[in-house]
Amino acid sequence: MFKLYSSLRKELLLLINDKVGLALMFLMPLLLVFIITIIQDSAYKMVNENQIPLLVVNHDTGDEGGKLVDLLTKSGLFKIDSQNAIQQESLKSELLSRGKMIALYIPGTFSAGLESNAEDVSTILMDDLGLEHDTTAREKTSMPKLSFYNDPVLQENYSYSVMSVIQSYMSVIENSLMIDRMYANMDIAERSAKLKDKMISNRVGIDQIVARNNNSTAIPNSTQHNVPAWTIFAMFFMVVSLGSNIVKERVNGSFLRLKTMPTTFMVVMFSKMAIYVIVAALQVALTFSMGVWILPKLGLPKLSVPDNLIATIAVIFISSMAAVSYALMIGAFAKTEQQANGFGAISIIIFGAIGGILVPTFVMPGFMQFFSNFSPLHWCLEGFYVLFLKGGSWQDLRTVFAFLGIFIVFCQLGTYFKLRLERII
Amino acid sequence: MAGQVCIAIRDVYKRYKSAQEDSLSDVSLDIMQSDVFGLLGPNGAGKTTLISILCGIIPVSSGDVQFFHNNKPYSDHERKSRIGFVPQEYAFYQELTPRQNLDYFGAMYNLSKIKLEERREHLLEVLGLEKAADKKVGTFSGGMKRRVNLAIGIIHEPEILFLDEPTVGVDVQSRNAIIRYLQQINEAGTTIIYTSHHMSEAEEFCKNIALIDHGRVIAAGGLQHLKAVHEVDNLQTLFINLTGEEYRD
Repeated sequence: MFKLYSSLRKELLLLINDKVGLALMFLMPLLLVFIITIIQDSAYKMVNENQIPLLVVNHDTGDEGGKLVDLLTKSGLFKIDSQNAIQQESLKSELLSRGKMIALYIPGTFSAGLESNAEDVSTILMDDLGLEHDTTAREKTSMPKLSFYNDPVLQENYSYSVMSVIQSYMSVIENSLMIDRMYANMDIAERSAKLKDKMISNRVGIDQIVARNNNSTAIPNSTQHNVPAWTIFAMFFMVVSLGSNIVKERVNGSFLRLKTMPTTFMVVMFSKMAIYVIVAALQVALTFSMGVWILPKLGLPKLSVPDNLIATIAVIFISSMAAVSYALMIGAFAKTEQQANGFGAISIIIFGAIGGILVPTFVMPGFMQFFSNFSPLHWCLEGFYVLFLKGGSWQDLRTVFAFLGIFIVFCQLGTYFKLRLERII
Repeated sequence: MAGQVCIAIRDVYKRYKSAQEDSLSDVSLDIMQSDVFGLLGPNGAGKTTLISILCGIIPVSSGDVQFFHNNKPYSDHERKSRIGFVPQEYAFYQELTPRQNLDYFGAMYNLSKIKLEERREHLLEVLGLEKAADKKVGTFSGGMKRRVNLAIGIIHEPEILFLDEPTVGVDVQSRNAIIRYLQQINEAGTTIIYTSHHMSEAEEFCKNIALIDHGRVIAAGGLQHLKAVHEVDNLQTLFINLTGEEYRD
C-alpha cells in the first residue's frame, strides 16, 4: 500500500511540476469553452435576436421598393441604413468603406417590372377563365432584379440566409400585386383585401420541436454543445503531459531501473492512469462548473446537467480512460518528447476535427462521416450528446461504450507490447 | 564472508535481435562476496550488456547466472531485493527533489516509511546533498546528479551494488566523495561490481577485474596478479596492451 501511495505521490508531484501540461489541461478548456461559446452564442443571437445591419439603396421610382424596405424594417430582423443617394456603381466601395457586411440595391424599374409581371399573370388567368377584362395595351417592363452585395469575408450560408429572408418578403409583395391586378381587371379592386389577407397573412407556421428521449424542455444551445465538446478535446490533450512523461521515463532509464527493483510495473502504470483519470474528472468538474455557474453570469446560456447522473459519470470515466490510454500509447511509441508532444497534439486536433468537435459530423461529406467513426473523440462526444442533448438512456450509450472499450483495449495492448519489446515490462 | 562466491557467471552468450555478432561470448566469471570487481573494456566491449544481464534487465541468449548468499543460491525475485543498480544515465526524475526521488525509489524497494526516512536523511548527509535536498534535481550540477543517482541505488542497503560508470562527467570533488563512500560501504560488506573508463580510478578502487573486449573476457583476476603476469606497472598500460590502440566507436 505504501508502494502504491508513493507511486501515486510521485505521479502527482510530476504533474504539479509540469506547468505547461497543467495549463494545457486546465486553462485551455476553460478558455476554449468561454471563447467558443461566446462566439457561437453571439452568432446565434446575431441571426435570431440582434438586428442584421443592412445598407439599402432604393432607386425605385414606384411604391413597391418602399414597401419592401418597410417590410424588412418591420420584420425586426434588420437594422436598415437607407442611403438612396449612393449610385449602384459605387455601392461596392461604399459597402466596404462604411464597414457594412451586406447591402441591397433596389433598381429604378422595380415597381414597374413587378406591376408588368402581375399584369401579365392576371391577363393569362382572365383569358384562361374566359372572363372579360381590360385589354388596353400597356407598356411592358421586364422583371426586375434586386442586387445583393456582401463583404467577401461573410460566410456563404449567412448570405444565403439573408437572401432567403428578402426573397420571402418579395413573395409577399409579388402575390399582393397579382391579387390587386386580378381584382382590378375584374373591376372589384376594393374587394381584394380579404383574399390578400387569407393568402398572404394566414400562412402555414412551423413549430420547432427538439427530438429528445425525455420530457426535458431544455433547448440545445451553444453552451450545451461547447462545454462537453471542448472538455473532451482538453481531456485528450493530456497526451502532451502524460505522453512526454512516459517518454522521459523510458529514455532516461527510470523504467529500466524499476525493472531491477522488487516491484511490478503494474503499480507504475496504474498510478499514472489513476492520477490522469482524476485529472480528467477535474477537467470535467471545472468546465461543467463554468457552464453552470459562470457562463450564465456573462449572459450566456446555462449548462443543463443531464438527469441520469450515473450514466454521466460512466461516460466521463470511459472518456477519461480513452484519453489516458491514448496518451500512454503515444508515450510508449514516441522516441522523443518532441515526437510525443508534436504528434500527440496534432493527432488530437485531427481526431477533434473528424470527430465533430470543431464542426458537427452531420455537415461533413459522407466519407468524412465514415472516418469520424475512427476518432475516439467522436464517440466521447456522442456519449455526452446522448446525455446532454438527447436525454438518452443506457441503451442509447451501448455503441459509445462498445467503441470506446475497443479503443481503450487497442491502446493498452499497443502500450503493453511496445514496452515489452523494449524489455521494460 | 569474503572468499565466498556471490555471483557465478557460466558460459554466457548474448546476441541481440537482428545483430550479426554476439555482444557477449562465452563469459564465465566468479565474483566474490565483498569484492570490488571492475568490469573494464573499451566502448562496445559488452560491459553494460553484462551488467544489464546481472541486474535482470535483459535475458541471456544462453548460459547461466547464479546468485548466492553464504553459498546458498537465491531466486531471481529475491535477487531484486538484494541488488542495487546505478545506471550510467541519470535514471531518476529531474523535476523532483532528491528527497522526493529517494522517497519514491525507496518505496519501490519495499522499505518501510520509517526505515526510508532514516536511510534518506543518512544518504543526503553523507553524499553532501543535505542543503539541496529540497531543490529540483534538474537544477543540479553533473556531480550532484551522480550522487543522487548513487543514493537511489543504495537507499535499501543492497548486498550487491552494480555501478555503470558512476563517476563519468563529474568533477574531482564529487568523484572523490563517490569513491570514498563506495569504499566505506564495501568495507561494511557490500559487493560492488563496477564499470569505468577511468583506469587510475579503477586501479585505486578495484580488488579484482575482468577485461572484456569484443564480448569476451580477455583477462580476469586480482589486479596485482594481472599486472605482475603481464609485466606492467599500471592498469592503463595493461588495458592498452590487451585491447590495442585503435579507436573504438
